[in-house]
Amino acid sequence: MDAFTRFTNQTQGRDRLFRATQYTCMLLRYLLEPKAGKEKVVMKLKKLETSVSTGRKWFRLGNVVHAVQATEQSIRATELVPRLCLTLANLNRVIYFICDTILWVRSIGLASGINKEKWRTWAARHYYYSLLLSLGRDLYEISLQMEQVAHNRAKREKPSSQDPLEYSVADEETEWLQSFLLLLFRSLKQHPPLLLDTVKNFCDILNPLDQLGICKSNPGIIGLGGLVSSIAGMITVAYPQMKLKTR
Amino acid sequence: MDAWVRFSAQSQARERLCRAAQYACSLLGHALQRHGASPELQKQIRQLEGHLSLGRKLLRLGNSADALESAKRAVHLSDVVLRFCITVSHLNRALYFACDNVLWAGKSGLAPRVDQEKWAQRSFRYYLFSLIMNLSRDAYEIRLLMEQESSACSRRLKGSGGGIPGGIETGGLGGPGTPGGGLPQLALKLRLQVLLLARVLRGHPPLLLDVVRNACDLFIPLDKLGLWRCGPGIVGLCGLVSSILSILTLICPWLRLKP
Repeated sequence: MDAFTRFTNQTQGRDRLFRATQYTCMLLRYLLEPKAGKEKVVMKLKKLETSVSTGRKWFRLGNVVHAVQATEQSIRATELVPRLCLTLANLNRVIYFICDTILWVRSIGLASGINKEKWRTWAARHYYYSLLLSLGRDLYEISLQMEQVAHNRAKREKPSSQDPLEYSVADEETEWLQSFLLLLFRSLKQHPPLLLDTVKNFCDILNPLDQLGICKSNPGIIGLGGLVSSIAGMITVAYPQMKLKTR
Repeated sequence: MDAWVRFSAQSQARERLCRAAQYACSLLGHALQRHGASPELQKQIRQLEGHLSLGRKLLRLGNSADALESAKRAVHLSDVVLRFCITVSHLNRALYFACDNVLWAGKSGLAPRVDQEKWAQRSFRYYLFSLIMNLSRDAYEIRLLMEQESSACSRRLKGSGGGIPGGIETGGLGGPGTPGGGLPQLALKLRLQVLLLARVLRGHPPLLLDVVRNACDLFIPLDKLGLWRCGPGIVGLCGLVSSILSILTLICPWLRLKP
């Protein structure tokens, strides 16, 4: 219970927990909707999802400042590609949080003249850009890792190794793909924070892709993606060493 | 900016901000009503207050575990009175949060058959008990400190060569009093006690903050349970003051009263 208390004392920990609940409800609703006799459960899940989603907005108020601070930090990154990607990603996050705050002001009835659809599209677009740029940075880091792992393996491998795979008559393309995937797997295994961040960004991007109509999917996939990314987020909050650091 | 990020990273801090905003809305709504503002504006303020209240209930989900954890820690205190007061206070808080969670389930539509009035009354009752325990603990601490302070003063006076006539030694005045000067002597004694109390509270800001906070908070359940109807203005003002004080203890951890 002590660990749970310490986890929930952090705003981000609690927010991730609620986000996981919200997307679990979405996923369960998608799975239970076609079944007969489950209407009451589906309705309750919808109500829980709506109230958790509305309540989570209180966690996001003031995150503009967090995003501005993150932008300042990412400007100081040493390498060019991460610096560019992260700074632009964080700037897009700033704009996303501004749009989100305006939508919140509209939803509590303080300013009824706001065009909800327009601001919602803007928010989704800038969220999408920030995730795309974060994924770009992840891919760069993965390529660096893969280079390093391949280099290490080449150094360690004896020159006279009789690897039967090298002399097989299998198709060259599948062989290349197989060794590429093996290299990818090995690189990610050695660098869990990078794997976690990539999985999180990839799962997160499914939502804006659907909202913007670029790649329409169903609530089940979005719910599953949201749930997986929330669990990845919870792991980074519970174990800060699993957070991907900017060099 | 860094300070805001660190502050808002604590979920309790965000909840306190929402509480301050909620009671500010309540106070504002009452003031607007008194000064005859437009019903549209009043409705907006009431709506915002409702949103804040529901949002806070969601933010508070899981606080029962926190209160139980604090009660578990308080059981190990050495002083018997403190141990009793703090543990019982945290247990009542845990029950208050549990009732609050039930109210959230009812308001968000998950359990529509929940009797909102009954559970609200229950939650306020537990909240009142916990505040009474907090105030008892504060009174006990004040009493201890006053005794310490008065014995330290009398030691200083004895050390500086005899008592000063009419000095701050409270014990000496109590003695076999002259029959004629009963009431003025009582008034003097009372005045000295009040001065000692002021001195003690001035020297211990965390205790003063805690006393003021609990005293302000006390008006809320007293009003909601109908024991002492003070009106929405007073409730709003007291709630706002106590929220600001608790935000202060979050920003400056040395201002928090440690058991």
